[in-house]
Amino acid sequence: MNRSPLHDLHQGLGAKFVAFGGWEMPVQYTSVLAEHRAVRTSCGWFDVTHLGRFELSGPGSESALLALTSNNVTSIDPGRTQYTLLLNESGGIVDDLVVWWWQPETYWVFPNAANHDHVMAAFAAEPGCSVRDLRSESVLIAVQGPEAANLLETLLGLAPKRFRTATATWEGVEVRMAGTGYTGERGGEVCVEPDIGERLVEALVSAGATPCGLAARDTLRLEAGLPLWGADLDEGTTPLEAGLDFAVDLGHEFRGKSALETELARGVSRRLIGFVLEDKGIPRHGYPVRTSEGEGEVTSGNISPMLDTGIGLAYVSPPPSGAELEVQIRDRWVPARIAEPPFHREKR
Amino acid sequence: MEIPDDLLYTEEHEWIRKVGDGLVRIGITDYAQDQLGDVVYVELPEVGKEVAKDDVLVEVESTKSVGEVYAPFAGKVSDVNEGVSESPELVNQSPYEDGWLVVLTLTAEMPADGLLDAAGYRDLTE
Repeated sequence: MNRSPLHDLHQGLGAKFVAFGGWEMPVQYTSVLAEHRAVRTSCGWFDVTHLGRFELSGPGSESALLALTSNNVTSIDPGRTQYTLLLNESGGIVDDLVVWWWQPETYWVFPNAANHDHVMAAFAAEPGCSVRDLRSESVLIAVQGPEAANLLETLLGLAPKRFRTATATWEGVEVRMAGTGYTGERGGEVCVEPDIGERLVEALVSAGATPCGLAARDTLRLEAGLPLWGADLDEGTTPLEAGLDFAVDLGHEFRGKSALETELARGVSRRLIGFVLEDKGIPRHGYPVRTSEGEGEVTSGNISPMLDTGIGLAYVSPPPSGAELEVQIRDRWVPARIAEPPFHREKR
Repeated sequence: MEIPDDLLYTEEHEWIRKVGDGLVRIGITDYAQDQLGDVVYVELPEVGKEVAKDDVLVEVESTKSVGEVYAPFAGKVSDVNEGVSESPELVNQSPYEDGWLVVLTLTAEMPADGLLDAAGYRDLTE
């Protein structure tokens, strides 16, 4: 089991730990609900050192990103970030990735923790590409919430803008960051060598940022409607089913494209939808759902700490035409309505 | 970890308080609420429901998981704590008092075996 270089620091802050993707990481410090609300209302920080990350460089790097992933990296510029998908030949999602584009021929690629090795290997096998594992040489800290940018700017002298990269110098060391995250809030993710990362976290704590664990990260991403690979996405689901069309550019050739074109022509047989319970109860992964026309299954569910209501994501087949849904919780069918995330900022 | 001396305990981390002739109040222990984390929903049984020993009596759900509370004895549900329906966090804040769950009317004499006293329960959780 891998541990973050910040493990002792977390213990000192009272963290409880969980095994996730081969890593033992903080799951919560005090209260998941309090950590969640801190991120929505002010600022929280997360140690996400377990996330996969590698540098992709070389003359073939752009071609590799185009050939292997569904989004089109040439639609952005150096200094920006992009969400993209690595697919199999059937259009199934092998992993969802975030790319930080530093300069022509230099990218940082962030796979999910459990997929790091094989995703890095897939890029390494492309012509004209070299990869460098960034995990052993760095920690990754997510600083998230409406106050996150102010805090980063106070500490580091600058903060990354949304979906943009930035480089600061702190205590004589280079700090690389981007305006990305997995909570639905502004802020950024900061990648830095472990010793400096530890001091940066201490400074964040002194400045009042709340330490948050992976449990709050999960309720935050669910409330924001962000799918989780391994729960809502996997090799058996396509981006069209998952509603990730925005990360698919059919104007370039990539693995899985022809399967998506076939699916598009035929129409998707099921779709990932968001829902809000209209009665008490907590939906959970695996619970059955039904509509007047079909059925499906919850892939992520929990309480929305901001709405104090059960929320979830579910695949429904056929894609529902109405807004009504029922979720089976133990022996009762609980009414729910289909809703467009982010659930806590829903416009009705 | 708080473990009051005047209660009985099960190995499933429930506490039992005798509150009258053939009447017991049931809740989950401080240890159990700490393991669950923030309680966000409590599904209570209907008053009058008859339960057999080891039936699921209450579902206590946190952001993390679903915790099942089993009937420690056969009996009939004679009261439920509506307070925890409205404010599930009472289970975290006051597991032995305001966060109680159910009162059972026992079908038979309370069996002595299978229950732990405070010292026995402390040994279990340490």
